[in-house]
Amino acid sequence: MIELKNVNKNYEVNKNNIVNALQNINISIQEGELFVLKGASGSGKSTVLSLIAALSKPTSGEVIVDAKQISKLPDNFASEYRRDNIGFIFQKYNLIPTLSVSENILLPLVPLNLPAQEAQQKLQRVMKMFDISHKAEAVVKNLSGGEQQRVAIARANVNDPKIIIADEPTANLDERLSLSFIEILKELKALKKTIVIATHDPLFFNLDCVDREIELHKGNILS
Amino acid sequence: MRSKINFYLIEYALNALLREKYKSFFIMSIFTLLTFLLTSVFFITNSIKYELQSTVDTLPQIIVQKIKAGRHYDIDESVVDDVLDIAGVDDAVARVWGYYYFENAGVNFSIVGIDAYEKQYKKSFENIIEDFDFATLEQTPSMVVGRGVKEIMKQSYYDEYFNFIKPDGSLKRVDVAGVFDGQTQLESNDMIVMPKETLKEIFGMDEMQATDIVVKVKNPQEVSTVAAKIKLIYPDTRIITTQDLQISYQNIFDYKSGIFLALFVIAIFTFFIIIYDKASGLSSEEKREIGILKAIGWKIDDILKEKFYEAFILSLFAYLLGVILALLYVYLFQAPILRDIFVGYSQLKTSFELPFIFDLHTLFLVFFLSVPVYVAAIIIPSWKIATLEADEVIR
Repeated sequence: MIELKNVNKNYEVNKNNIVNALQNINISIQEGELFVLKGASGSGKSTVLSLIAALSKPTSGEVIVDAKQISKLPDNFASEYRRDNIGFIFQKYNLIPTLSVSENILLPLVPLNLPAQEAQQKLQRVMKMFDISHKAEAVVKNLSGGEQQRVAIARANVNDPKIIIADEPTANLDERLSLSFIEILKELKALKKTIVIATHDPLFFNLDCVDREIELHKGNILS
Repeated sequence: MRSKINFYLIEYALNALLREKYKSFFIMSIFTLLTFLLTSVFFITNSIKYELQSTVDTLPQIIVQKIKAGRHYDIDESVVDDVLDIAGVDDAVARVWGYYYFENAGVNFSIVGIDAYEKQYKKSFENIIEDFDFATLEQTPSMVVGRGVKEIMKQSYYDEYFNFIKPDGSLKRVDVAGVFDGQTQLESNDMIVMPKETLKEIFGMDEMQATDIVVKVKNPQEVSTVAAKIKLIYPDTRIITTQDLQISYQNIFDYKSGIFLALFVIAIFTFFIIIYDKASGLSSEEKREIGILKAIGWKIDDILKEKFYEAFILSLFAYLLGVILALLYVYLFQAPILRDIFVGYSQLKTSFELPFIFDLHTLFLVFFLSVPVYVAAIIIPSWKIATLEADEVIR
């Protein structure tokens, strides 16, 4: 279970300009839930995702995942937590453009120093699952937006994490590819993954597979 | 079973270098050039030091010169007998030597006169006496020449003999009886050895006079005492000990090395600024890559290890390449241009070969002056980025 308790997050633009990205946020997400964060740009959706993924720390408040307070984890433990528990699908995919598809997908496994056979099994599993096997050796920068997103999803899943986080996953996709992504989400939900999505794409609103959704506005929860 | 060394990280580091091939190539070129220059200088220095030390080792313990009006004059051979009477003196020999300006090539040759029946004050002369029949050389005036002399004379078609011009303007023909190799090339390359009588005739010296007297002392600790005693008996002489010569040689060499090192330090500094600028100024892409790696679960030490491998592979390769190039440049090609800075540009010195001296300390010194500095220049900025919150870097 993921819990955000009285979370505030401030960004210091400069000494005289502090932005309150989140104000007293309380959210609780159950295991296996598909949870959607709605809201316009700058509402604080991505900040919530960063806090859940331990990519940043709250200014105050607590972020608790599976009864562990991750908001106070030292840097190396936060990395370990991400590696073992989180699959993050970034808005701009955040792939390394000059590496091949398989090299990008394998990146989270590099520090684990797994036996080659085990790493290959994990790679083949996710490439097959997200239908990108045929592009295994292609350089990522030469792929289409939809293909790049599949690579990003495969990379997020290669470690078989419990939590999948997606930040504006359909922002760079056309409707056909967006619908295809929703199908992938359903597959992941069927695998009992906890999924947290930040989006302002209406395609996600009132979807059958979505368990709950809340709307953020200027760092506050609206509904 | 998992290996302790993470080969995936090394593979990733290699790929990272290949992905940035132009940048990697530029840095490696600069690094190789720097290592090559630094190693070449040390190799040349080591070789010349060895040559100088070998030369000094062959020098007599004491040299007695006659001084008149502040200038060096010929000395009476009878002084030898007085010197031999001094307690502690093992041997004293009157030397005949000087320089002959070979106008055709614009170089000076050193000429030494030796007597086959005397005890030689240099090992190399003993070898010459063994190798050549000096009794015959005296009958038909002949000489034994160093390799450099032979080559230069040959260029002016003096292959079998040479006509020396005496002080009175007349010519003295001396045949070339052979070529010798001295203990050190600096010493022997420009040298001619011939019987004393022939040389005295060429230099226009009296029969009972010599250029100077060399003295051998039984106990090396007593050299300064014996030198002081000779000075007391002959106040009109200048007494030069091995130690004086050693200091004098070292000063000349250190002076040249000092000038070069001062210039070189500036060059190294400039090179490192270029390298630091090119290597450590992480581009936005590189910063972003570090952020991505952190976001997908890499720890700070995973990132630093990868950066270490990247820097170490590049700098080690450049270091090895630089050292190999320096070995070829110094010992195979005899360090053209750079060698002249240390040896001198003078036309008076004939050529010599830099002896091969393998000094592990030099290689370690160059390694520690280059590789760790470069690795640090890569690691430090990467560490600065890796310790930031991943979210901040990606944004």
